[in-house]
Amino acid sequence: MPCGEYFTSYESRMGLIPWRTQRIALVFGLPIPFLVPFLVGGGTLTLFTQMYIFAIAVLGLNVILGYAGEIVLAQGAFMALGAYTTSQLLGTGVGLLPAILFGGVVAALVAVGFGLPSFRVKGFYIAISTLALQFITEWFLNNGQFEAVHGGARQTLPSTPSVVGPVAAIGTDLDIYYLALVFMLAFAMLSLNLSRTGIGRMFRAVHENDLSAAVLGVNVFRNKLLAFAIGGFMIGVSGGLFAFNIGFIDPQFFTLTLTLEHYVMLLFGGLGRVWGALLGVGVVTIVRDTLQNALQVAAEITGTNATALVPVFFGVIIIVVLVVEPKGVLAALGKIKEYLRKWPFAY
Amino acid sequence: MVDVTTFLDITVSGIGLGALYALIAMGFALIYKVTGVLNFAQGQIAMIGAYGVVFLGTGAVLSSPLPAFAALAATIALGIVLGIALERIVFRQFIGEPVLSVIIVTLALGGIFSGFIAFLFGRNFRAYPPELTFGSRIDLVAGATIQTAFAIAVLLALVVVAALMLFFRYTVTGSILRAAATDEQAAMVLGVSIERTIALAWTISIAITAIGGILLAMSSDGAGFSIEATGIIIFAAVVFGGLDSIPGAFIGAIVVGLLQEYGSFYFEGGTAIVDVGPGFGEILPLLFLLVVIVVKPYGLFGTERIERL
Repeated sequence: MPCGEYFTSYESRMGLIPWRTQRIALVFGLPIPFLVPFLVGGGTLTLFTQMYIFAIAVLGLNVILGYAGEIVLAQGAFMALGAYTTSQLLGTGVGLLPAILFGGVVAALVAVGFGLPSFRVKGFYIAISTLALQFITEWFLNNGQFEAVHGGARQTLPSTPSVVGPVAAIGTDLDIYYLALVFMLAFAMLSLNLSRTGIGRMFRAVHENDLSAAVLGVNVFRNKLLAFAIGGFMIGVSGGLFAFNIGFIDPQFFTLTLTLEHYVMLLFGGLGRVWGALLGVGVVTIVRDTLQNALQVAAEITGTNATALVPVFFGVIIIVVLVVEPKGVLAALGKIKEYLRKWPFAY
Repeated sequence: MVDVTTFLDITVSGIGLGALYALIAMGFALIYKVTGVLNFAQGQIAMIGAYGVVFLGTGAVLSSPLPAFAALAATIALGIVLGIALERIVFRQFIGEPVLSVIIVTLALGGIFSGFIAFLFGRNFRAYPPELTFGSRIDLVAGATIQTAFAIAVLLALVVVAALMLFFRYTVTGSILRAAATDEQAAMVLGVSIERTIALAWTISIAITAIGGILLAMSSDGAGFSIEATGIIIFAAVVFGGLDSIPGAFIGAIVVGLLQEYGSFYFEGGTAIVDVGPGFGEILPLLFLLVVIVVKPYGLFGTERIERL
């Protein structure tokens, strides 16, 4: 047995799971999410479902922000578009899956539309225009004049819709759990593979230096729009699942706070890393849930409005992460590993 | 529905609203020009100013509130201290970091500020102390009228704007700020302390933003969470004016104020020509912003950026 693992070809270096340890971890780790419903139940299961749904949205953000480097501040708006489209289509009886996927398509189209200015401008102009989209969407959804389009600000979704057309009704917590898990795994796989293909490398080239990328023959505008489309689709799908999971939609769910929350998750785990995004979603969701419960208790005891402090907590985490380790927790773990490997020598 | 007196009425209040926005927009443009930071937390900082007076001047949180004008002065002082503190503690860490980090940090700060304010006051409207509220209306030419509180707020805003313009034009410190904004390295060679200049820019920016928040609140007799939305509306003003131009920010703010007033009078509610639903007044500047970004991204007076490899 050789001392250590070596890559002998480019293919093995670029493999999906390059290290032996990772392969072993995958074999033991992959069944865990499928077994979770047998171990926990009720509220915890719903928390896991929520985690997977947010993971899809954060993976979508990762494609746009982490891969292509476009700052999009309309996470809430894209999710809302997916959610309201899904809700409207469920009413027509096409089934859950087509409704959710079409919600993703609508979000993707709007994302591409708001990506069009990137033909002329970049960076913070996109941030500003998507922030404007966020506010316009909130106004649009709260507006009774457009009720024919979005079907009312507050809507209740059917609790046991059929999956495709009239067949196979689903609706239990367990069904939603597996649905979200399958979607999440599919999109995680898509993101991982995206970063290994030429498209992903072009995205990264655009991210690092769009001018050099253009000089090297990369079609910058097209690649940005492609990133908007893929990311927007994922975020829209996540919105549809979110709506179905909660069973009720309200524009208040899809505010700038949600965007901030997803940025915390992505930046905490590490920008541009799929595993980082998943780790970030897991950790932040659990911490957020614990904190929210604690604040709820505190609010009841002290009689103050303590739950309003949740965004404060997110803000502090983001700033601390960006000061201490802008590349995220995964990069920090890598540094620690590297230090321990060489210890007690300096290099 | 379109008659001259109402039109004049709305135009006057639009210009007034624009003058109030101008302070916040100029705070943004100043800090962008000197440090390159895009402050997405302007709305929340304005809200700190607005609620600062409520905090110090009314009995909402404190058991023995300050007299109204002392509270006003103390809030402005608080804005200055906040500016220094933010620069020292937060933004100094992010000099030379990518745009993304800085934008996210300001967004996070916005979340922190609005979270704290919601914690202290709830998301409700809070009335100002009676010394700072005025009930009557003032008559203007051709039958147009304007609320006294609004008129006073606008006058004060114009005074602050004029003072700022004079400060930049005729004082040494103002010249140093302009020099550092135009060419940081040349200013350094000429003996300007960039560190101190940046701290000064933050102080002025946050202070005038806080003043803008106070005046916005005064114009409606109390502080409300609607001030938070100013943070995005002023983007329309500064982008139209050309991001790094302070006079541009002023002109942009006036245009945006007019748009908002016309939008809310002619496109929503009972007075509307075409009713597109409540809140359109604040959406119209955002639509305008999108048009500006697509058509003329460098605005009226902005410097077009030329990139080289």
